[in-house]
Amino acid sequence: MTLAAKSILRLVAFAALICASNCLHAQYERIQMRVYGLDCELCARGVAASIMRLGGVKSVAVNLKQGLLDIALKPDNNFKMSSLRKRIQDNGFRSMEATVTAFGKFDGSRFEVLGSGEWFEVKAQDSKSPPPIELTFQTRESSLRAVP
Amino acid sequence: MTGKRDWSRSRHRFGLALLGLLSLTGPAWGDAHGPAFGYSTTVLGVGDISIELAIMRRLGTTMLGPEVSYGLRQNLQLSVSAPFHVNHGEHPVGRFDPLMPGVPAVEGMAAWRVYHKLSGVATRNEGTLFGGFSATTQDLPRTDGRPLQQAPGFYGAGAVARITRRYYVSAGAGYEYFGTWNSGDLDRQSSTFLSSFVVGWRPPAFDRDYPKPDVRFFLETTGDWVGQASRDPAQNTGGPPPPPHNHGYRPAAAQSGGGAVVLPNSGGSGIFSGPSGLFTYKNMGFQGGMQFALRDQRNGTQPAERYRVVIGVSYFFLGGKK
Repeated sequence: MTLAAKSILRLVAFAALICASNCLHAQYERIQMRVYGLDCELCARGVAASIMRLGGVKSVAVNLKQGLLDIALKPDNNFKMSSLRKRIQDNGFRSMEATVTAFGKFDGSRFEVLGSGEWFEVKAQDSKSPPPIELTFQTRESSLRAVP
Repeated sequence: MTGKRDWSRSRHRFGLALLGLLSLTGPAWGDAHGPAFGYSTTVLGVGDISIELAIMRRLGTTMLGPEVSYGLRQNLQLSVSAPFHVNHGEHPVGRFDPLMPGVPAVEGMAAWRVYHKLSGVATRNEGTLFGGFSATTQDLPRTDGRPLQQAPGFYGAGAVARITRRYYVSAGAGYEYFGTWNSGDLDRQSSTFLSSFVVGWRPPAFDRDYPKPDVRFFLETTGDWVGQASRDPAQNTGGPPPPPHNHGYRPAAAQSGGGAVVLPNSGGSGIFSGPSGLFTYKNMGFQGGMQFALRDQRNGTQPAERYRVVIGVSYFFLGGKK
């Protein structure tokens, strides 16, 4: 094996290690959530600022007309969906259905978001890749459960 | 160089114009997060803080009114306000605002949103109760004798609102009662009943999405019924007697209770209505409005109040706790 080939091999192995590490720790990746009651710019600003103070949040975008929050999360976060819903409630608003992209594993129809201690009832996926898998799914207002 | 001087001059003119505008206004008030004159049901989020400062001018009296509010728990807000007179004119009676006493005082208030139904995107129905305690802080000169003794005030109110992205409707009423610090005191400040009905509208042209500046317009109607003040006759050092022909005049001796003399130049009722606007941008809120007297009947020789003007500014510390 040439020196160049060895170097490339080492690089690939290192990249795979980094990726695996991120995949194991980056649980929630993105949450798009509908919120009831947001009627003004100041309300939106308050909610966005409050969510930004939760650990692991990279950015919060608000669409007032559709009542949508779009939350991007940092890699290696330990974000909890329950904290997000609580934070929205504390600001006087109601969190509704959400589209969630997260890394996790299936246990029957339960999808457990790694490291968060939270799981959702979602339709089981036929995935050939080993866990953790990345999944985008819909949740209702009250479908969140804590891992027993 | 000339351009810089022109800019400096125009900025100077702008500042003077702003000062002039402020000095021309009547009572200036508003919490910069809802109607300027009427009741609002909105409370701060948990851990949020708002700081407000207003200049009020009403019937020749100029007041400054700082207020700090804090979101203690979900649906529970605490506020402390301390309006004071910069100069004394014809002292107005009644509350300036649902959240602020109209006499120089320190007031602590709790706003508890007891009903909160979030039924859709940008739609909510709310009901809020208010309870407050105040202590007057300045002796206000009266034309009919010595100032009344300082007193504690108790305030209770309730308001309901339906708020959507496009429309806003709220109604509320409250009562402020003044007692005495000592059981032997016969002086009594005027108690007040205040009510409001507000409709609001955000025109489509201003219906822009976050994080653009936000604008909302209101038509506010308020009514106040102010009771008559009374004074200990043993300490009444005189002053000009009121003319007997005005509305509401009653001979003082006939109205005395427990030995107190009812002051004929106090109390009355009024209904005011007019437009206001709310502008928020980033963490700032600006508010302005004007109300005109639909009905104004003050007892004795008190001057009539033809209009009220409001200007308020607020800064919000948002984000709450970690």
